[in-house]
Amino acid sequence: MKKKSLLVGLLVALSLFVLMGCGEKKDAADNKSGDVEAEDVVKNDAYTDLDRKILSALEPLPDKMEGVKIGVVFPTFSNPFYVAAKQGYEDAAASMGIKVDVVAGATEDDVEGQLNVFKTMLGKDYDAIIIVPITGMNLISGVVEANQKGIPIICSGTTLDKDAAAEAGAKIAAHMTYNFEEQGYVGAKYISKKIKAAGGEKAKVAVIEGLAGAFQGEGRRDGAIKAFKEEGMNIVSVQAGDWDRQKAYNIATNLIQANPDLKGICCANDTMALGVVEALKVAGKKDQVYVTGVDFLDEARQSLKAKELDGSVAMAPYITGKGNLTLALKVLQKHDISKQSYYSPIALITQENVNDYDDWK
Amino acid sequence: MGEKKKQPFLSVKDLKKSFGRVEALRGADLEVYPGETLAIVGDNGAGKTTLIKTLSGVISPDSGEIMIEGRAYQELNPRQALDLGISTVYQDLSLVNCRDIATNIFLGREPVRHKIFVDKRKMAAEAEEFLRQLDIKIPEIGVEAGQLSGGQRQGVAIARAIKFGGKLLIFDEPTAAMGVQESAAVLNLIRKLGQKGYAVILISHNMYEVFQLAKRVSVMRQGKVVATVSTGDVTPHDVVALITGAGEIAADIFS
Amino acid sequence: MKIARSKHFSQILLLLILLIMGVVLSFLSPYFLSWNNFYNILDQTSVDIILAMGMVFVIASGGIDLSIGSVLAYSGIMMAFAMKAGMAIPVAVALGISAGTVIGLCSGFLISCLRLNPLVTTLGFMSVARGLALILTKSSPIFGFPNAFKFLGSGRVGPVNVPILVALAIAVISFILLNKTKWGYYTLALGGNEEALRRAGVATHRYRASLYVFCALMAAIAGMITVARLNSADPLAGWMVETDAIAAVVLGGTSLSGGRGSILGAVLACLVLGMLDNGLILMAIPAYYQKLFCGLIIIIALVATELRNRKEHRNFV
Ligand SMILES: Nc1ncnc2c1ncn2[C@@H]1O[C@H](COP(=O)(O)OP(=O)(O)OP(=O)(O)O)[C@@H](O)[C@H]1O
Ligand SMILES: [Mg+2]
Repeated sequence: MKKKSLLVGLLVALSLFVLMGCGEKKDAADNKSGDVEAEDVVKNDAYTDLDRKILSALEPLPDKMEGVKIGVVFPTFSNPFYVAAKQGYEDAAASMGIKVDVVAGATEDDVEGQLNVFKTMLGKDYDAIIIVPITGMNLISGVVEANQKGIPIICSGTTLDKDAAAEAGAKIAAHMTYNFEEQGYVGAKYISKKIKAAGGEKAKVAVIEGLAGAFQGEGRRDGAIKAFKEEGMNIVSVQAGDWDRQKAYNIATNLIQANPDLKGICCANDTMALGVVEALKVAGKKDQVYVTGVDFLDEARQSLKAKELDGSVAMAPYITGKGNLTLALKVLQKHDISKQSYYSPIALITQENVNDYDDWK
Repeated sequence: MGEKKKQPFLSVKDLKKSFGRVEALRGADLEVYPGETLAIVGDNGAGKTTLIKTLSGVISPDSGEIMIEGRAYQELNPRQALDLGISTVYQDLSLVNCRDIATNIFLGREPVRHKIFVDKRKMAAEAEEFLRQLDIKIPEIGVEAGQLSGGQRQGVAIARAIKFGGKLLIFDEPTAAMGVQESAAVLNLIRKLGQKGYAVILISHNMYEVFQLAKRVSVMRQGKVVATVSTGDVTPHDVVALITGAGEIAADIFS
Repeated sequence: MKIARSKHFSQILLLLILLIMGVVLSFLSPYFLSWNNFYNILDQTSVDIILAMGMVFVIASGGIDLSIGSVLAYSGIMMAFAMKAGMAIPVAVALGISAGTVIGLCSGFLISCLRLNPLVTTLGFMSVARGLALILTKSSPIFGFPNAFKFLGSGRVGPVNVPILVALAIAVISFILLNKTKWGYYTLALGGNEEALRRAGVATHRYRASLYVFCALMAAIAGMITVARLNSADPLAGWMVETDAIAAVVLGGTSLSGGRGSILGAVLACLVLGMLDNGLILMAIPAYYQKLFCGLIIIIALVATELRNRKEHRNFV
């Protein structure tokens, strides 16, 4: 029983969804929620496996194209996630024999700054530009400009707001998106399974989202709520932790005060989850409450190994770079990709399997 | 003229100061003798305030020399000036409005206990006593300076200037904001200070005050001291003529 | 009526808000009224109180310091590096705290000696310190510290933990500094009328600079507690804490235009904001409402104070 629940987590984990036909996000979410039963679980080298998966999802692969110049616009480098992602692009580019420049705005909420950076990139004759917009809106005018200049744009992570993009006439050549809801779903599902494995039913659980109103955080929150409801858990509180460790620490302290029998807290990122873990340790409740986060930060890895944090959902920023560059080449070589949606892979890392993910980037 | 043989307490030579394009002082000279009361008169903008601010160290002159008790200085800072015995009652910005009267009087010279704690009680008691001695009326010692009337504020500023003594007291239009009675009280105070042996510089637009209190009058016009006369030798009318520059001849006669 | 005329209007108002909130929350949530929960509130407010203490001085002098959040993160990171490099804990702590304080020294020097605008200058150092923190850590947190260090964040001395004790001690010291020492007197005089203070022979620039040093010192101590409590030095720690500190200080009756400062008020305001956060979470009220309530309380308190001040002015002018 216990082992199975563990597996399900893992599986979901390794999903890279290529949906043929009308690749609607909804389908993707439904698809993964229950029935993904992959027995080909990564045993030792999770990283190589995802690498293989993302490439197979992108088949037919493009020809080698030496000397192509590709620009990448990130939200910020003040987040380890994007630092790893940058490395992923650069390593992949080196192995593919193409040139890549990765730039970013100042902070994760400097929407205008990112647009300025993007527009500057448009003036530097890239063959294609990969954007990771901060919001669904902020880069639209830049995309329109790129369309006029004939530079294909590949959008990764956040998708452009459909209506706003249509109104402005902004066209994206290809999408590679994250499914944030899935990330929350996986964590909450894991918490529920753990609780049930320990004999708990309808246990009290809580969700900590990020900055109220932030896209990823709300996606993860909704996914977590969905999973908890499916599992018949009793959600006693949904709070905004502002992505902040100290805030999450305080929230956890207060939650445990109000609900001494709380069994699980699903957090929208690891920073907050780690704050929660510290608070639970101080309150002496760590063994009672299961905690998951998202991002698989280095610190989360250590915490998992120390048997404190219970789970972390990892995106694969490093691999995503290779996927996106391959996608860009497909676009440049005029592959027909209009009928496909590509999703970045994720993995659920737990105390049990954390040692398999030592070289995860 | 025995006085003149004495060394001046303070003398100023060819002091110049510009604020951007405004030349506030264009080579002012001044001498103040120990124990004397000197008046400085002049039209608005003549440079009186600027001159005394260089003496109290609030403004540094561009050039010129300030000689105090035989020692020459290029410029002074407020601390130095205070230490040399120059205390000043300014025309503007004299008090900290949000602090109480005692705190204002002791500003910069607070008494402390155990080397750390400001002795509030001592300050209040001494300030109250001192104001009573000077016959300066205030509602209550704990009141904030900002809640006092213009005349009361001036009274507190004066009390502060003379609380810690010194050798030269400078008053920049001390009665400007005051009613008849308060003016009289302040003038009386200044006279008493003169009698006690303080040197006093009094800036005033009021010829009556000037002739009542001062032995000598320095007249400023456009950044220079154009004449210094004895009140015994001239009439208020003559001084007014010097201020406006109506009688350059008069200056020749009296200087 | 008597209250309206009191010098301590803001503080009394805050105390009332605190009491009313306490009573209301006790009825609304069964978990609120317990020693444990009050202890939580104190614990959660301790870092805010420490930060607010530094901010009281700076704001009372007519200045502002926007860099405290970044200084908090930067000090914490320097401390973490020092410990990772194997330095003894006291040495590492001293190093981290001095590193943060140096930033205060720089902004203090520029603001007082070159007369730069404090808002813009500290905004600059806010970026500098945050940038340094991110560069030095390559934007990943440093974590895992010795237990003796973690003691500073969650260790208990008798019935209370170290952060609460530190906050209490700093509040008491700040109260004495502001109200009983020359330094405090000159802080208020700087905010009230800097020129008058200068003419009184006080080296005003030195005092002004020292305020920013003090404020940075508080931020650095807050950084130490944050790192110790969370067992992690995060380059993004203390994000936007300056807004909380400024709100608490102003709410507590310290005048943004300088000349007036209240330590007690700032502490009470921190407690009000902390209790509000705590109560709303206990009642499982969603995040959006929390922001709303928090904003409303700030506005209500400010309006009440402002109306009262106007009335007073009419009486005197
Ligand atoms: N801080 C300053 N900045 C610029 N200009 C100044 C400053 N202080 C004085 N001035 C200018 O210097 C000139 C002399 O000013 P000052 O205050 O010395 O005149 P005053 O003789 O005291 O006049 P009043 O009788 O009106 O007090 C004026 O033209 C004034 O505008
Ligand atoms: Mg004048």
